[in-house]
Amino acid sequence: MLPAEKGGGEADREAVSSGQLADTYCRHFLITNQNPDGGWGYHRASPSSVEATSWALVALTSWSQAPALAETCARAHAWLLQAQLPDGSWPAFPGQRQGCWTTSLASLALHFQGGSPEAVVRGLDWLLDAWPADGTLWWRLRQFLARSAMVHQDSSLRGWSWTPGTASWVEPTSHALLLLRSLPPDLLPSRAAKRQRLAERMLYDRMCPGGGWNSGNPLVYGVAGVPRIGPTAWALLALIDQPERAENQMSLDWLARAYAGIRGATSLALAHRCLAAYGRQVPPLAPALGELYLQNRFFESVLAVAWIALAWGGEGSRAGKTAGESLTS
Amino acid sequence: MSLASSRLLPAFIRPPSCVAIVRAQSYSLDLGALLLQALREFDLPLRGKKVLLKPNFVEPDPGGVINTHPAVVGAARESFLCLGAESVRVAEGPGHERDTEAIVETIRLRDYLGSLPGLFVDLNLDEVHPVTLQTRASKLRELYLPKTVLEADFVVSLPKLKTHHWVGATLSLKNMFGIVPGCCYGWPKNILHWAGITRSILDINSTVRPDFAIVDGIVGMEGNGPIQGIAKPSGVLILGDDPVAVDATCARVMGLAPERIDYLAKAGTLLGHVKPDRIRQLGESITSVRTPFAVLPSFQKLVASNGD
Repeated sequence: MLPAEKGGGEADREAVSSGQLADTYCRHFLITNQNPDGGWGYHRASPSSVEATSWALVALTSWSQAPALAETCARAHAWLLQAQLPDGSWPAFPGQRQGCWTTSLASLALHFQGGSPEAVVRGLDWLLDAWPADGTLWWRLRQFLARSAMVHQDSSLRGWSWTPGTASWVEPTSHALLLLRSLPPDLLPSRAAKRQRLAERMLYDRMCPGGGWNSGNPLVYGVAGVPRIGPTAWALLALIDQPERAENQMSLDWLARAYAGIRGATSLALAHRCLAAYGRQVPPLAPALGELYLQNRFFESVLAVAWIALAWGGEGSRAGKTAGESLTS
Repeated sequence: MSLASSRLLPAFIRPPSCVAIVRAQSYSLDLGALLLQALREFDLPLRGKKVLLKPNFVEPDPGGVINTHPAVVGAARESFLCLGAESVRVAEGPGHERDTEAIVETIRLRDYLGSLPGLFVDLNLDEVHPVTLQTRASKLRELYLPKTVLEADFVVSLPKLKTHHWVGATLSLKNMFGIVPGCCYGWPKNILHWAGITRSILDINSTVRPDFAIVDGIVGMEGNGPIQGIAKPSGVLILGDDPVAVDATCARVMGLAPERIDYLAKAGTLLGHVKPDRIRQLGESITSVRTPFAVLPSFQKLVASNGD
């Protein structure tokens, strides 16, 4: 029985102290909160979303190949397939007409779970054709004429945007790179290599001066941006093929320093996953998560539970992984 | 319901607005009592209503300079409940930080509201519905907006008094960017920037009309706001039944000319009042609490002169 079902703070404290949180709560939460349509919403009983379903599927796939989970994963897989738009992209929610950043995540989840390579390739094709709106000649001309002193970055370097027709940002670029690096070479068209190189350069260009990343503005009006946990972890996971690079090490140092002050379950799980993937010493996850659970039960967030599951899967993992392995093993 | 319940009216037809300035030098004061006393002046139709407070939570900032102070949020909740609201929830969708839990736990919102699950809603991850925008200032036409906002009877914008490096000042109208869900539009909600910040502010506020605004100006932010500026103790809470009039009053308190803040000047044509002769002033006078805020060089043009 879940602590929440037992009711009361005493049951919660008992669950945390007995270590149930890691296995029983997270796995049980994901299984019991799958919607009847096969997807997951961001929270218990909320409408299925592409992002939440993708991460729940990745988490369950990485956790266990047990037959008991096979049906759960198969239903999620089917839900993702039916949510794909005719152009190969995925929207944030079914019914929306335009694809967006979730395309990387859905493709990644389907690939990890196995099967449906044609859907993955269609998603990949859409991503490779989806250029952000910044960095075009017209855009750069306007920036030059405006003599904007606000941001200083190389706008010829382009990654991926959150939504079509907008600028490159760290997180969607990292997600797309994770996908590109997870796929076998035979699935990657020749144009993938160019976008991958450009996106990597964009990420390094957008790193905050002291290491780490924020959403993508490292310097505003000459003032150094403050890195944030999430973008830093995603960028580092996406750039894990270059672990010894000075920028990676400087950013890992920042993440390691910031770790003790993290007050949110999703950030904690991502930071833990990232540091472990690079082989850095990182304190055990359970005590800090237990404290947060007692405070708010992670707000019953599917994303938080899925990323916690991935982080637990990474405890004690070794360095030197590929980007895909860094997420799931 | 706030969704377009209040018609868009030209300023010359719209009845005068009411704004109160309450002196409050510290977050340790009994802010609940101060706010309740001020709110009673407005005779708000709150009985049985579902009230939604929309603070400005941006980043995990334990220093209390960037975000609406949780003491103000707690005091507002307490006051609206005292005035007969059926429920008062708090909701925000931060624009840069995905981990909203980290923000609310860092600023210790629990200490002021109690247990947060069920009471606090992360608008970035809420259920969404498509909504046709009521004006066409931008090219957006339609936005997916959170169910929690659409189902509220009475929406209160609860921002911090801050300068802003793109639009000059961020107050109750700009604060409504936070209702646009990150799960659809990302972090940041870059689609609003590409559509034009001023235009997006107008379209969002014409569509989801905040019924009331309370601005936390006890400690504001000047300079390179809304994140990298410096603390500016101003010792005021500014509240009113017309967010445009509240923002115009805030600008005057900050030593800025509201007519020169692009989105505010435009909002003054259809959404509310900017001109002082159309704003009934309660509590302290503007001149008695005026605290000039430093602005970036590119916004020096906004600074009020003697004639403003």
